[in-house]
Amino acid sequence: MSLMSFITPSLVNSAVQSITPILLAALAGTLCGRVGVFNMAMEGQLLVGAFAAVVGSYATGSALGGVLFAIVFTVLFSLILAYGATVFKGDAVVICIGMNLLASGLTAYLLRQMFGVSGTFSDPAIVGLSKIRIDAINTIPWIGWIFSRQTVITWLAWILTAAVTIMMFRTPVGLRMRGVGEDASAAGTMGVDVLRYRVLTVLFAGGLTGLGGAQLSLGTVSIFSEDMSAGRGWIAVVAVMLGRNHPLWAALACVLFGVADALSVRLQSQGLPNQLTDVVPYVVTLLALALSHRKRLKRRAAETLTAHA
Amino acid sequence: MSEQSVRASRLPRIPAVPLAIGIGILIGGLLVLASGGDPVAAYRAILVGALAPSNWPNTLNWAVPLVGMTLVAALPLRGGMVNLGGDGQLVIGGLVAALAALYLPLPGPLLIAAAILCAMIASGLYASLAAWGETRFGIPMLISTLLLSYPAIGIASYLVGFPLRDLTTGLAQTRMIPEAARLPVIAGPLNIGLILMVVVAAAVVFFDRRTVAGYELRMRGQNAKFAGYGGVRLASQQVRVMFASGAIAGLVGAILVLGSLYRYQDGALLTPGYTWSGLMAALLAGGAPLGAIAAGLFFAGLQTGGFAMQRETEIPRVLTMVLQAVIILFLAIRHGVGRKSS
Amino acid sequence: MTIELEATGIVKRYGPLLANDHVDLSVLRGEVHAVMGENGAGKSTLMSILYGMQAPDAGRIVLRGTEMHYRSALDAIGAGMGMVHQAFKLFNSLTVWENVVYGMEPARGVFIDRRAAAAKVAALAERYRLQVEPNAVVGKLSVGVRQRVEILKALYRDARVLILDEPTAVLTPQERDGLFDIIRHLTADDRTILFVTHKLHEVMAITDRVTVLRDGKVVDRMVTSETSPREIIRAMTGRAVNLTVEKGAAKPGAVVLQARGLTVAADGGKPVVDHVDLSIRAGEIVGIAGVAGNGQTELIEALTGLRIPDGGSVAIHGVDVTGVDVERHRDAGLAYIPEDRATTGTALTASAADNLAMGFQRKPPLAKGRLLDGAAVTAHAKKLIARFGVKIGSEQLPVGTLSGGNLQKVVVARELSHAAQLLIAEQPTRGVDVGAIEFIHGQLVAERDRGGAVLLVSAELTEILALSDRVLVMFDGRILAELPVAEADEETLGLLMAGRVGEAHLKDGTEAA
Repeated sequence: MSLMSFITPSLVNSAVQSITPILLAALAGTLCGRVGVFNMAMEGQLLVGAFAAVVGSYATGSALGGVLFAIVFTVLFSLILAYGATVFKGDAVVICIGMNLLASGLTAYLLRQMFGVSGTFSDPAIVGLSKIRIDAINTIPWIGWIFSRQTVITWLAWILTAAVTIMMFRTPVGLRMRGVGEDASAAGTMGVDVLRYRVLTVLFAGGLTGLGGAQLSLGTVSIFSEDMSAGRGWIAVVAVMLGRNHPLWAALACVLFGVADALSVRLQSQGLPNQLTDVVPYVVTLLALALSHRKRLKRRAAETLTAHA
Repeated sequence: MSEQSVRASRLPRIPAVPLAIGIGILIGGLLVLASGGDPVAAYRAILVGALAPSNWPNTLNWAVPLVGMTLVAALPLRGGMVNLGGDGQLVIGGLVAALAALYLPLPGPLLIAAAILCAMIASGLYASLAAWGETRFGIPMLISTLLLSYPAIGIASYLVGFPLRDLTTGLAQTRMIPEAARLPVIAGPLNIGLILMVVVAAAVVFFDRRTVAGYELRMRGQNAKFAGYGGVRLASQQVRVMFASGAIAGLVGAILVLGSLYRYQDGALLTPGYTWSGLMAALLAGGAPLGAIAAGLFFAGLQTGGFAMQRETEIPRVLTMVLQAVIILFLAIRHGVGRKSS
Repeated sequence: MTIELEATGIVKRYGPLLANDHVDLSVLRGEVHAVMGENGAGKSTLMSILYGMQAPDAGRIVLRGTEMHYRSALDAIGAGMGMVHQAFKLFNSLTVWENVVYGMEPARGVFIDRRAAAAKVAALAERYRLQVEPNAVVGKLSVGVRQRVEILKALYRDARVLILDEPTAVLTPQERDGLFDIIRHLTADDRTILFVTHKLHEVMAITDRVTVLRDGKVVDRMVTSETSPREIIRAMTGRAVNLTVEKGAAKPGAVVLQARGLTVAADGGKPVVDHVDLSIRAGEIVGIAGVAGNGQTELIEALTGLRIPDGGSVAIHGVDVTGVDVERHRDAGLAYIPEDRATTGTALTASAADNLAMGFQRKPPLAKGRLLDGAAVTAHAKKLIARFGVKIGSEQLPVGTLSGGNLQKVVVARELSHAAQLLIAEQPTRGVDVGAIEFIHGQLVAERDRGGAVLLVSAELTEILALSDRVLVMFDGRILAELPVAEADEETLGLLMAGRVGEAHLKDGTEAA
């Protein structure tokens, strides 16, 4: 079996789709990391976004309404991290663990109370995101398949990746953010309001993740199911680590994950049980993490001090 | 510390944990109210469901795995480390216990002991893999413990779904384990798993308070650099602590399989969410064993009460999960509860 | 001369501590004004108030005739204040120009005008003779150059008054002279310098007037040319201090610490510690002098087991401990007072008893097999607290609330009570009060006289000269020279610390490596 027959355009198309929420979450993670807030609540933020998107779409009858709901509610949800880890000086790791649990519990609770179902909620009234069809390239093999028939959020995700990168490395705001993350007290003495930068960045990042959540529930399926973020937020955390808070490298890590995900889908269609193929992306992620840290290995006893303490 | 006490002195002093629980109950109540329920009825149902004498066995039975997973989280947390991989370790323990019970040719009590031991060792080794990855390669354990859960769960799911499946039922599960391998029952739903867990809990408390290794772990939690400078072998300590933590998760898995499920069933160990509740309980106490055990018991009561609430008021019992999360978030934000007890 | 900056009746209180007690300060335009005082005298508090980082509880600040009400440092910067902090506030991963323009970037549209920024920085550097490359990454610059970046930052914001907080602490004497030149250029441009220090000879060399603080109060104001070091000391301490340490001649015995070819590699490039040979004998204090960042930290880490060396060997009391962990170093006879008492030497949230037990926990009487004897831990702590005069309410209290000097006493007490063959003391008196310095110095000499081998690393040349029997100079990862203390003086050491062996007139009996 040749590689070309193994990887089909439709596989790539679905991989690009499935990367989108992770990419947005990873982008959010790099932004937070750059201002010195360790965000590992993306799993919960995606879930809140996905739920809010379904609620919004169901209530307003429009996908745009769903997307707006997702952004607004995820930003609100992110207030916990934005203020908890900055103004109130809480431990970001603990706050994020709590947020992930809160998201899981709260969405499950509201699912039952608002829609009277548990598990999965699907309804014709949930309007999904439409795919953008670019007629100019639509019929071109490969290119048409990959770049056409994607949701506006997928397009936005890649545009935002570029925009965030430029913002981070070419604008005053980006310079200040990088300074805040590297040495908050130094940034403070230069008159940069560290808390404000942190709070606003975490909230903006929340908006990005909310967008990712909307893609999750409205992008391909138009349903919400409990814990549907299913580890994507954690993959995003790893992407941030692999990319060392650089948006482009983090995006590359997301692509790697997308490839692994596509591979697992493909293996499944070859007859391998999905319990095994589902594991592939996580194993790839773990291996990538191991390889990326190999170089950095310092033979120093004191180095084993907890990396994120 | 001093800054906070200055700030708080204007208010009457309410200890942090009761205050957090109060806030959690308040927010939960508002949530119930907002969704058209009766908070008073809901909380009464929880209280009765958890604490009425006739419900004690159920609460205790729920507390065994939950307190177990609390200790799984508390032990590393005492040293400033986080084990997010309880799910994977639990599943490995459960599966290994089931397989040992099914396939080891040993008589009754020996079979039980062997199954439990195998489960503990398997889970312990799996957990220490993450510690090894951090000490040897610098892969942050915070994320590797979590990621390692996915392959463990996936592979376990595959094994009981295909090669080891009990073909007489329609579900992904192993055959029933022999009678001889089942944990002796004490009364009602309670089996000797309860006694095992009490022993383990006591051992952890003793370890923390009385042993040299417990002192060294506490010091690491307060300041890892200080511990390393003082001669504590951080790398091997990390591997050992994670082994112990994983082994307790393996024990919990074994107790559930040998004591109440009598087979390994895909998803059955994870659905109740013991791992995350246990982590919350451990965080609530900042890793201090006695406090963590108390918090674990409290959450167990909350959750068994949740079942009663759902039965009687039709308010979904996931509400209790929201309560737990709110309590932790409040403590983390307002009182700096976390990995360092500062 | 006109008054540039005037502060009157400044009061600042932290809980029960009165850090500034009605402080008055008056600074003339274009002068170099020293603010002197011991650690804890309130200098830092006063400076952070003048720089707008903290609001005073009472008092007025008048800058060029206008009363100021700073809400943040930004207001003070806007009003023409600048500050070079003792610990530099620089972003190591960013370039020089990024550091300088940070927070006040020249923009073109929404983007930073990178070319304009670099050009502006270069022009400023040129004007005040601050040699620095605008596109260099700060993390790769030497300490002296980094300090110039800090000064550039202030000048970029057109600081009329520049606060220099202990600016010479990390400089070689030669770099210090370079700084003094820069200061002269600045005052020639009618800029005003507030020079915060506790080093007398620098005050005498560069300043015009002196304000002395003690216990939060101004105790004296003097004109430098009309005063003497003795007078300033008396004002600072309230008594005349004897800065020399009483000690007899050393009686060196057997070699206790032996390092051969010890090497610590860097991430590419030349090693941080480069084939260092040293041997320390029982009954002597050997000082390592050197500007911070020349490999001392890494050398000590390699000697104590905190870092596995990339080459060479270490033996303590004849036991080869190369590459083994800290515990086996300690077993072989190592006691170690680390550079940073708060992040390494203690666990601030743990009790004094727990802190004092560290290192003893595995041996009797504290350990009974694998169990820890709580009563023995308490008794051990009580004994040390009493013997070393640590001021703490109870051994069960966390040590995080102790003053710098008391906290250091906890570390010193614990490490000395090992009665180890080898004591490594890294910056043992940094940031502690004069009383504690005298006490700790006395303890180190007593340790030597008891027959211990003492390796002392200090950034304070006066400390090195006062305590050491032999002095090693570390430069660029290597031991550049070894000299008996009798032949070491500040000038020679300073030249050696700057790597200028040729200019340092080494006498017989002195080896240049």
